[in-house]
Amino acid sequence: MTVLNPAGAVSARHTLWDAPKKAAVSVVELAACLNPLVLNRLREMGLEPGQPLICLGRGPFNGPVVVQIQDCVYTLEQQVAQHILIEPQL
Amino acid sequence: MKKIVLVGKPNSGKSLLFNQLTGLRQKVANYPGVTVELKSGRFEQFELIDYPGAYSLSSLSRDEEIAVNKLNEALQDPNTALVICNLDATRLESSLMFGLQVQALARAHQKALVFALNMADELQRFGHQLDTAALSAALGSPVFAISAKTLLGIHEFRQGLLALANAAEPAVPALEHGDEQALRQFSRSLARTYGLASSVVLKNQNRIDRFMLNNLSGGLAFLLVMFLLFQSIFTLAAPLMDAVEAGIGAVAHWVTGFIGEGTTSDFLNDAIFGGVGSFLVFVPQIMMLTLIIGLLEDSGYLARAALICHRPLSYFGLSGRSFIPYLSGHACAIPAIMAARTIESPRKRLITMMTIPLMACSARLPVYALLISVLIPERAYLGGLVNLQGVAFFGLYLMGIIVALLVSLMLSRFVVSRDEKSDMPFILELPNYRLPHWKPLIVRVMSAAKSFVYRSGPVIFAVTVLIWLFGYFPHDAGGLEHSYLGQIGHFIEPVFEPLGLDWRYGVAILMSFLAREVFVGALGTLFGIDGADENIAGLAANIQADGLAFGAGFGLLLFYVVALQCVATVATIRAETGSNRIAAGLVIGYGLLAYALAYLAANLL
Repeated sequence: MTVLNPAGAVSARHTLWDAPKKAAVSVVELAACLNPLVLNRLREMGLEPGQPLICLGRGPFNGPVVVQIQDCVYTLEQQVAQHILIEPQL
Repeated sequence: MKKIVLVGKPNSGKSLLFNQLTGLRQKVANYPGVTVELKSGRFEQFELIDYPGAYSLSSLSRDEEIAVNKLNEALQDPNTALVICNLDATRLESSLMFGLQVQALARAHQKALVFALNMADELQRFGHQLDTAALSAALGSPVFAISAKTLLGIHEFRQGLLALANAAEPAVPALEHGDEQALRQFSRSLARTYGLASSVVLKNQNRIDRFMLNNLSGGLAFLLVMFLLFQSIFTLAAPLMDAVEAGIGAVAHWVTGFIGEGTTSDFLNDAIFGGVGSFLVFVPQIMMLTLIIGLLEDSGYLARAALICHRPLSYFGLSGRSFIPYLSGHACAIPAIMAARTIESPRKRLITMMTIPLMACSARLPVYALLISVLIPERAYLGGLVNLQGVAFFGLYLMGIIVALLVSLMLSRFVVSRDEKSDMPFILELPNYRLPHWKPLIVRVMSAAKSFVYRSGPVIFAVTVLIWLFGYFPHDAGGLEHSYLGQIGHFIEPVFEPLGLDWRYGVAILMSFLAREVFVGALGTLFGIDGADENIAGLAANIQADGLAFGAGFGLLLFYVVALQCVATVATIRAETGSNRIAAGLVIGYGLLAYALAYLAANLL
């Protein structure tokens, strides 16, 4: 699935779902098409633009991504992770 | 009585703190209309109420929604003297966000608030000193660093609680920290100043997860855990079940010896000790499964198991969170259906609840045990390692799971609407691996046993009394065949004839629609065996001698794999879904499917 970034360019690679294992990345933005409740929860988890993340890997059988946000580790399924736009950490 | 409210995020040691403050005696309240459980206990002269853990005050799943609503109600209550906000001291950054939300709420309602930074023993282990005085000044509310596990700082905390709760002027949070955005920034800066670095906290956890979530080692570990779990349900619970059985037998013997022969003695022996006793035998197994699931959950493994299962389960329209209810369903469907509340997606929650009754619950065990010993010869292979009857047991368990997955697939494709808005995604925190503490586990095991007895006991009692009355009277007419039960049996025989079963099986099946475990006892009575529940081998031999065809017997097994025969489960589904239609639809749907499978087996095999 592809996601439109604000400039309107299609970017399929730079979402949390496609991030390689052990990558240190930071959040660019959360897609506005996410359910407001989910969006709110993600923000409470610390997923704000600029927030550094570490992709720890994913569950077996190409399962949900495992990601470290601040001092917690969460697992997010594709449906959410592909709506979180990221960039490599500077 | 004045109340103290305890809130906190999941996995932050809140239940243990509650147990340490109140002792092991506690009440579980089920509020009318809602089904969320609030635990309450006595702390000195106060009532301490434990609210279910929530990740935030804006709710995502139904259980969180209820928890948040109830919390709002409690804060409006003039009797509420104090709010304790329990946080994980090792993870300040993520905890303080929730803490500040609760603080703002307490401030809005003019209630006193105190922060308990739990798990401070782990801070000590990392050699970290938390400056509670400075943190307290920054937050504008008192802060205590404690460990509910090692009791570090608990004495001072108790005294602090009493002083705060008894104060004439409530210690309402003094500072206001602004809107959500400001709270987030504030919690971040506080965590940086006072907290432990995340790389330190998460080092061990991430190392274990590299193994536990690996494709190969994680998969093998998962299978091993599941194997040990099912193994221990049977091996560890078996002696306890035997003990319960022997105990009931001894009491029955003593009581009936005391009364002497006659109708009263027959009634006590057959209906009370035989019927109700056979149901009490399952209690140890439910306790054992609750204990093991509790151990897995408190150690942090269950979250990993849900993660591992998410992908496979999502093919069938389920969530990784469906895994835990499915697992509990192997002891008893009732707590399992309640456990489905943690599934965020209402759609997946509904599908999970509708398919839980297909899991091979412990009430099916005696039925399986009886029919397997009738149909399958006791043969061992590979030097006793593989037992044919054991394989048959395993096959029936597997069949339950497979049918549940297929039904889920169908429900998710055709029946339950795909409302995107209501479909919440799978988001789960992976907590730290920890050694579980015995106190919350014991409380949990005891309350599981208690609620099973209270929920199912009355139904089973009523059924056994009813069967007994109909089977016993008219008493002089010449045995069971001519009793009311026998007359009903002959009337319904045409329904069961196509399945290759005679009226006795028909009566037993009909009765077991109230509770499956009734089947063995009822069939025992109908075959004229006293105490059939304790003597499955004797009943099996009688059935074999009576000549039950393999196809019909196998069909009967399939019938019990699928049919929803448990009044207590149907009542729970009705309460949890709020729908008579779903509850009735499941009974009819599974009943028809069960009948069709049994018919095919009886006529094809």
